[in-house]
Amino acid sequence: MRPALLALFVLAAPAPRETVVQPKETLSDVALRTLGSAVAASELKAINHLDSDAVAPGAQLLLPGPERELALSAIASAKSAVQQAKPGAARTEAAERTAEAERQLSAAKYAEAAAEADSAWKLLSQRVEDPSRFAIQVAPDGTTRVHVDSGIPVRVEAEGRTRAVSPGETVLVHKGEAPGIPTGQLATPTAGTLEAPVLLAPAAGQRLALDPKGKGVGPLRLSWRAVAGARGYLVELHGPTGQTLRTTRAEANFPSVLTGSYRWSVRALGVEGALGPAAERPLELTSGNIKLEVQPPDWK
Amino acid sequence: MALCLTLLAAGDACRKSPPSGVFDAAATPTARAILLQLKGTVSLKRAAADDWAPASEGMALLENDTVQTGARAQALVRFPNGSTVLVGEEALIGIAETGGAPGRDRTDLTVKRGTVDATLQTPATQDLSVGTPAATVRGGREIVFQ
Repeated sequence: MRPALLALFVLAAPAPRETVVQPKETLSDVALRTLGSAVAASELKAINHLDSDAVAPGAQLLLPGPERELALSAIASAKSAVQQAKPGAARTEAAERTAEAERQLSAAKYAEAAAEADSAWKLLSQRVEDPSRFAIQVAPDGTTRVHVDSGIPVRVEAEGRTRAVSPGETVLVHKGEAPGIPTGQLATPTAGTLEAPVLLAPAAGQRLALDPKGKGVGPLRLSWRAVAGARGYLVELHGPTGQTLRTTRAEANFPSVLTGSYRWSVRALGVEGALGPAAERPLELTSGNIKLEVQPPDWK
Repeated sequence: MALCLTLLAAGDACRKSPPSGVFDAAATPTARAILLQLKGTVSLKRAAADDWAPASEGMALLENDTVQTGARAQALVRFPNGSTVLVGEEALIGIAETGGAPGRDRTDLTVKRGTVDATLQTPATQDLSVGTPAATVRGGREIVFQ
């Protein structure tokens, strides 16, 4: 079997949901073997309701489902957005939400982790050019309620603490106290109402010749028709270069990828990490030009 | 100085341009905002006044002025940078001082009670800071002090 086809077969095969503890294995060893990280032992502990890290050889352990991959992807996107964001209250808030997402992940609360990470990512990906609209309500006792309708996040400060409040969120501040956690997302499309994106370019099965770039070729540009109600898109590239990225636009750009056979898929993102159905296409990438590398002569 | 003495009878031109670094208490106060789209009973109390007076369309709002709306009343406050605040019924708001107290962050407006709706059409270039008894709310352009 050709390596590319083997890779596709491996990607398509469902991951096992159980594993058996091998002789002399610790819980960290099992986590490393099955989930690729010894740190994930805490997740196995939570899923299997274990009181300690001790596991007997031959014991059967449950493994996380595909929701773990979604949570990991959301956390990776949030971390990337935090790293690229300019210093400020929104970045601080996003970093805190990302840290909370990692705590939820280690407790195997994958849906909560994905939602928290998604809210962090969303905080930093709002379009600056949208008008900013927010309402402030002050009760007779001074209690302040701030609701953000649209635009970039609003910063609410009290008692030395700042909260970034995103569109659709409300925060309550009692006199003499720090702002509470923003709550109350407005009803927006969920996974059930999101449609699969209509892929535009490259065409299905197209053999694309790109310029040499780094160790591969590039740039690879993918585009699709925007989905109504989508807050962003999850783009996955399966093949010699496996990449996943999130974008708020109906296009994605991969600066450099290895040549070979690929499948690329796009899914619309709803609120709290909800994903719509995927649209997928095959793609063949080749090098369009011969790369000339002229080395200086080693003689004088 | 001699020029000022000469012009004293003609008006307060000299007072409008005090020497740099000299505080001039009698300087003409600068308008911080404009009051528009009045509906129902809207009252204004100037910083230096003791009594409330009916507000009128297009009135300039100065530092420490206070605006009050009655039942089913509303008013729009427009700031020089274009940001607007729609003051709802039975609200009490104040126009903040330009400088503010030392060590405290600048605010444009204080809301003592009621509801206000703020709009920044171009938040990349506008900012608005609203103080309440419990919090400070900042919208629009974020200024980061390194």
